[in-house]
Formats: sequence, C-alpha cells, structure tokens
Amino acid sequence: MSQEKKVLLELKKLKKYFPVRRGVQIKALEDVSFSIYEGEKFGVVGESGCGKSTLGRVILQLYPQTSGACIYYGRTRDEMCPRYLAKEVAKLPEYQKKATEFYQKSLEVERKAEPLRQTIEALSAHGTSRETKQEAALQKRLSELEFRAKELRKDASRQLREGSRTVGSLILCKELPAIQALFDKAQKETAAAAAATRKYRELEKQFEQARVEGTPDKGLQEKMEKAEREIAGHVEASHNYRLQAFQEYRGRDILPITERTQDPEYQAKLDRNYETGINLGKLTRSEMREMRREMQMIFQDPAASLDPRQSVGKSIEEVYVINTDYPAPVRREKTMELLERVGLKREHYYSYPHALSGGQKQRVGIARAIALDTRFVVLDESVSALDVSVQAQILQLLNELSREKHLTYFFITHDLGVVKHFCDRILVMYLGNVCELAESSALFHKPLHPYTESLLAAVPRLKVGQEHSTEFVLEGDVPSAMTPPKGCPFHTRCSKCMEICTREKPPVVEQEPGHFVACHLYEKKKEETEA
Amino acid sequence: MGKKVLEVKDLVTTFRIGKKEYEVLRGVSFDIEENETLCMVGESGCGKSVTTLSIMDLLPNNGRVVSGSIKLNGQELTTLSPKERNALRGKQMGMIFQEPMTALNPLLTIGRQMTEGLRLHLGMSREEAYETAVSYLEKVGIANPGDRMKQYPFQLSGGLRQRVMIAMVMAAQPSLLIADEPTTALDVTIQKQVLVLLNRLKKDVSTGILFITHDLGVVAEIADRVIILYSGRKVEEGSIEAIFSRPLHPYTVGLMKAVPNVDVDDFDIQPIPGTFPNITEEIGGCRFHPRCPYATDRCRTEVPAEMEIAPGHFVCCHKVEEEHR
Repeated sequence: MSQEKKVLLELKKLKKYFPVRRGVQIKALEDVSFSIYEGEKFGVVGESGCGKSTLGRVILQLYPQTSGACIYYGRTRDEMCPRYLAKEVAKLPEYQKKATEFYQKSLEVERKAEPLRQTIEALSAHGTSRETKQEAALQKRLSELEFRAKELRKDASRQLREGSRTVGSLILCKELPAIQALFDKAQKETAAAAAATRKYRELEKQFEQARVEGTPDKGLQEKMEKAEREIAGHVEASHNYRLQAFQEYRGRDILPITERTQDPEYQAKLDRNYETGINLGKLTRSEMREMRREMQMIFQDPAASLDPRQSVGKSIEEVYVINTDYPAPVRREKTMELLERVGLKREHYYSYPHALSGGQKQRVGIARAIALDTRFVVLDESVSALDVSVQAQILQLLNELSREKHLTYFFITHDLGVVKHFCDRILVMYLGNVCELAESSALFHKPLHPYTESLLAAVPRLKVGQEHSTEFVLEGDVPSAMTPPKGCPFHTRCSKCMEICTREKPPVVEQEPGHFVACHLYEKKKEETEA
Repeated sequence: MGKKVLEVKDLVTTFRIGKKEYEVLRGVSFDIEENETLCMVGESGCGKSVTTLSIMDLLPNNGRVVSGSIKLNGQELTTLSPKERNALRGKQMGMIFQEPMTALNPLLTIGRQMTEGLRLHLGMSREEAYETAVSYLEKVGIANPGDRMKQYPFQLSGGLRQRVMIAMVMAAQPSLLIADEPTTALDVTIQKQVLVLLNRLKKDVSTGILFITHDLGVVAEIADRVIILYSGRKVEEGSIEAIFSRPLHPYTVGLMKAVPNVDVDDFDIQPIPGTFPNITEEIGGCRFHPRCPYATDRCRTEVPAEMEIAPGHFVCCHKVEEEHR
C-alpha cells in the first residue's frame, strides 16, 4: 500500500455485542481493525449475519460500540474540538498518578512473592511427600501472586495508553501542567476556529441566497475567503501549540512510572497512540450530529427510507431544514440542483415516492446523502434491490459522484460481481471477524482464505457449456453468533481445517503487501499485523 | 423430443386498475418438456411472476386471463372450473416461492405441513405420508429428518426452509414445478447448494421446471432453455448456449453487458439507458424502442413478430429480422 494515501477512518479492535438475555450475547463484531483511505471505494462482503451491516452502523455510531475505537481523520482535533478532549487533557495527571500507583502495588506484590519463591526452592531440594504437598500449596499461592502482579502491571500500562491517546509519550513527562496548559491553549484556538466556521456558514447562507436570486455577490465571496483564512489561521495556531508541547517536552524529564518508561522504543510506541483524528465513539450526541454532515448512509430499500406522504423535494429539503438555516427559496433551489445532479428532473421535486421507480427512488436517497459537505458514505446493499440494468446506472452515478466530490465509500454488499468492479479494496467478513482484506484484483486472482475461495466458487458464472464445479460447495450454514465456534470461526465448514484451527483463533497477518488474511495456513509470516 | 408438460400459447393477462384494464402479458407463448428447466428472465415488472400466477390460477382479484391457452399434460386449464384447478395445484403442479418463511405456516411443525399435502392430494395414510415426507427430506439433503419433522419453521435457517419447501413440493411428484426466484433471498453459498439440489432432483423425478429469476448467473447454472421477457412480451427465446454465446435482441445484449461479471477483469459498467416502462404506459410498436439504441420509425409503430433465426432460437426484433433476411 502506498504511503501517500491518507487514512480517513481507522478502526481499532472494534467490538460490538448485542445483549440477548443475561449472560448471552450476539457477538456481531470481534476485534475488527483496519483503515479506510480517503477517496477509496471500500467494499465489504460476506454472508448474511457476518456483521457487515452492523459494522457500517457502528462506524456511523448508529449503534454504540462495545469496545474499541473508531477514529475519523476527516477532521483533525485542531479543526474540531470535541468535549471529550478537554476532559481527557484534564484527566492526564490522574492517568499518570494511577499508573504509578498500579505499578507500585505490583512491586509490592512482587516483594511478597519473593520469599515464597525462596521457600519453594528450599522445599524442592528436600522432596519428601509431605514437603511436596506443602510445596504445591505454596506454588499455587505464588502463581496467584504472580498473576496479580501481572494484572497490576497491565493496569498501569493501560492507564498510560489511555493518556497517550491525547498527548502521546508526553504522558510520561514530569512537566505535565505545562503541557496541559499548551494543550488547553490549542483547544481555545480550535474553539475560535469553530466560531469562525459559524461566521463562515452565515456568509455562505447569504452568498447562496444571492446566487439563487441571480445576483452573485463578489464582496461576499471575498468575505468568505477572509473567513476561511481566519479558520485556517486558528487551526494552524492550535496545531502549533501542540507541536510546541512536543518539541519542548518530548523525552525530557521522563518520570520512572514503570520499568519501561525510559525505553525509547516504548516512548515511540506511546507516540504512535497519539490520535490526530476524532474518536467517534466519544463524541456527544450533538457533536456526532455535526459530524453527520460529513458521514452519511444510503440504505438498501429506497422506498423504506422515504416518507410516502412527503414529496421527494420536501424529503431532500429536510436535510437543509435540520442542518442549515438557509431560507426557503435557497433550500428549494439547492434541492432542485441536487435532483438534476443525480439524474432526475427538477419537476420531480413535486412528485411523491410511489410515482418513482426503484432506481429513481434510490437516486433520491443518494441526493439526500450528498446534500451537505459529505465525505464518507456507508452504502448498505444500496444496489441489491435494483434490477441489473438500473443497478448499472446507479453504480455509474456513484462512480461519477465519488470522482467529483472526492467521496469515500464504505460499500456493503453480498454481490461479488459488483464489488469486484466497483471497489478498490475488499474486506471479507465471517461471523463478525475479518477473514481477508486485499485490493480487489488481488482478492479475485489470488484468494488466500479458504472462505474467500469457496465464496468465489459459489458465485453463479455467466458461462455455459462447462460442468459447474461442485468442488468448493460449502456444506452447512453459518453458525450462530451467540455461540461462535472456538478457535477459527470458519473451522466448522472449512475443507482445510487443521488441529490448531479448532483451538486458536488465527491473527490477521499481512501475507503480501496490502493483502491481509486471518488463517493458520499462513502462520509463517506472523510479524506484522495491521494495528 | 420429450413429452411436453406445459404449453402456453398467446397468453394475455390483464389487471384492472381503477376503471381501466391494462395488459400485463401481451401474448406470451412457450412450452416445457419433461426433464427440462426453462428459465424466464426479466426485470421486475416484466410479467414473470404474473405468468406463473396465471398458470397456477393464483392471480389477485383484479387480474384475469383474457385469452390464450395453457395446457398441462395436454389438458386445457383455462376452461376448467376453480374447483378442478384447485385439484391440480399441489398434485400436478407445485410452486416454490422466493421467501420460504412466508410460504410456511409458522404455527405448525414441518412434519404437519409436509404430510398435510400428501394426505390431501395423494390420499396417503398418516404413516405412509410420514414415511414419504421423511424420505424426501433426506433426498433434499437434510440431516436427521426425523428431528426436523418435529421442528417449527423459525428453528430452521433460510437455506433449510427452502429445502423443506422443495421437499414438500417434490414429494407429490408433480409434472410441473414452478420456482419463482427461489434463491434470491439466499446467500451465495446457500444458493449454490440449492441450485445443485434442484439440478439433481430434476434428474431423479422427471419434472419440467419453470424457473423465474432475474440473475443471469443463476440462469447459466441451471437452465436448459431461456426466454427473456420485456414488459409483457417475449423478446428472445433459445437454448442456453444460443442465448449466452449469441444474444441477438438489443435488450438481451444490454442485460448481458450490465451484469458485473466476476470472470472479467476490466469490466466497464454499461447500463441500459432509460427506465423500465410502467404497465400503464402506452408505448406503440416495440415496447423496448424508447431505450433501444437502434430504434427506427418502424420500431415505433409496428410490433415485431417472432422470427426463428436458428432452430429453436426465436427473436422479436425488426433489426435482427432485417439483418437475417
């Protein structure tokens, strides 16, 4: 994968469990980690129940995630200042304190364990039956203590990891108050940027009004440019404060919180945890609503996502009513322009959903999704309900829009033909787990995971005259996500199942550059997993 | 030539909407032999399902067969009374639907539903019906059929439900099986299982299958012959080889180009322009002409007649006709 591609969205060990009843959960997503690049068409395939729709919805925070993080880089923390960040900055000393406490406790436990160890050694030297018994009891106590010490050390590094999300390795510094002050200053600048953005929106409204009335205002445009520069200025200032914090304090006066803190490698690791993006799961409701200007969804059944009692125009216009304060004529004009953009006519503003065909309704759905400054769209089986000829039209439209507006698609489907030709990279999922992730040509020419192979073999081909192979026909059904199989989730249906597959879950491994697979067949190259 | 199971000739079916009657099928003819799978392909609204409902006499209240004939094993169906038609359904012709959950009764066990039809149509005793049902569940590849007989539909997965439906229909050994998009709601891996099963069953029980689908990939997998419908009219008919290697009608060609093919590397999505006509729309001449790149004045006024281009390969298109004269 080339380096210059910008990551737009990063999922880190995303988990989603749905509670069924006490102690029983549907494990819809299990430790899903991958990145989506800006401007790419990212496809997700899998059978029903594999968690692909859940994944799309968790990304948009329509379902809260159980654990893990979903980090959006479309806006940096310099541009947007969510409330959780200020809280995190305030909590930094607490993280540091807690980490120290946990580590000290672990040392205490270690000290308790030490004499035990010596006694055991002494006992094992004798070796009569009574002493062996005693030794076993002591051994049990010792392993308990060792386990506790280990847990405490883990707790300590967990605290540091939490802190490092906000300030990287600076969490280890003695001068935390000074760092906090710099970060607070940065946040003030971001707040100023947000205020400037509001001003910009107001100007934009006036500009749109003038444009709709047919009297484009040059002065306004200049003012808008000025406002834009102001926003950029604040953003840069905010960025500079953070940079200053790093330049001044990184590697200086490192506190000996744990035994690893002096290790430059560990510090670098903490630096890598530093998030420049926005952690979507931590946003408040209103902040997430603000984010939805950029992150949208298009559903499978266009009829169900439109109000049958509202004209198409009104349905689209609602987006502007809710998110902007454009006056009515501006809203109407913008809606009509949108209708034209998605291949409908201006007259369709007045028609009702029942009068449109399936393809036209889907076009309305698309218009709604791109009405604001959209950058990221989740398409959940958006072309599956359409007839082939119309499906091709919609795919073409989506292609055009992505080029024109630099949209990033998260394309969920079960149709392998469609993903192959529409998507740049494809993720194959099975029972909430990542099976394989690769560029689309690599996935189709050299599928690595046995599940991908059988999935490809099951696709009905447009070829006649040859015996259709029944070699890869999968037996049985997808197991229940409430009681997923132990080890590799696919082992119950896999033709290449080995002994290890029933015990251990295979990690996601980068088998070839940009080609990730989770399968024990490819264990040899285990080093790199996509974080 | 095998025995003809079903012969449909010039079938015209209309639907009443408001005070007007609209033609949904505008004269469709085809036939099916024993041991043959005929696939009917077309986009939604082209009349595929209405054809099956006309054959089964399951049209909604506002629809009726106006003219044409439907013959099952040589017996004319359109003149029979509803009672006589009812006696044929389930016994001589069976139907599988797209969504097995809506076709099965959620309150009754699989066993109860399977034996009911056998006892009613074939007059079997309770024990006989049970034995037959179990043997057919086994035939469709269901493990422990005895246990499954006691279960309710919600306890089965989508693929299993569809298998149960198939077993239920095949147990009566009908001479005609109508399958209306039976695999559309299933995942690809399960779809493959069901298609393999249908292909095997066709050989075991000598049945003619009318298979409705919009998925050309599925067609390639299961069909012997194909007919393509567009807006209530047949536009092309031929053997599976002919349709896939030498599609002639511009609509068939367009469909083939619009399907994203998994085996091709640099596929360029080429949609058919325009939208599918509503049945209420009046279109003179060939119904496809507003979307056809080759449309001429003749296409706008004159309905193209069916022409046999090669043995068994029929096309309804002025352009193809002119080229082959």
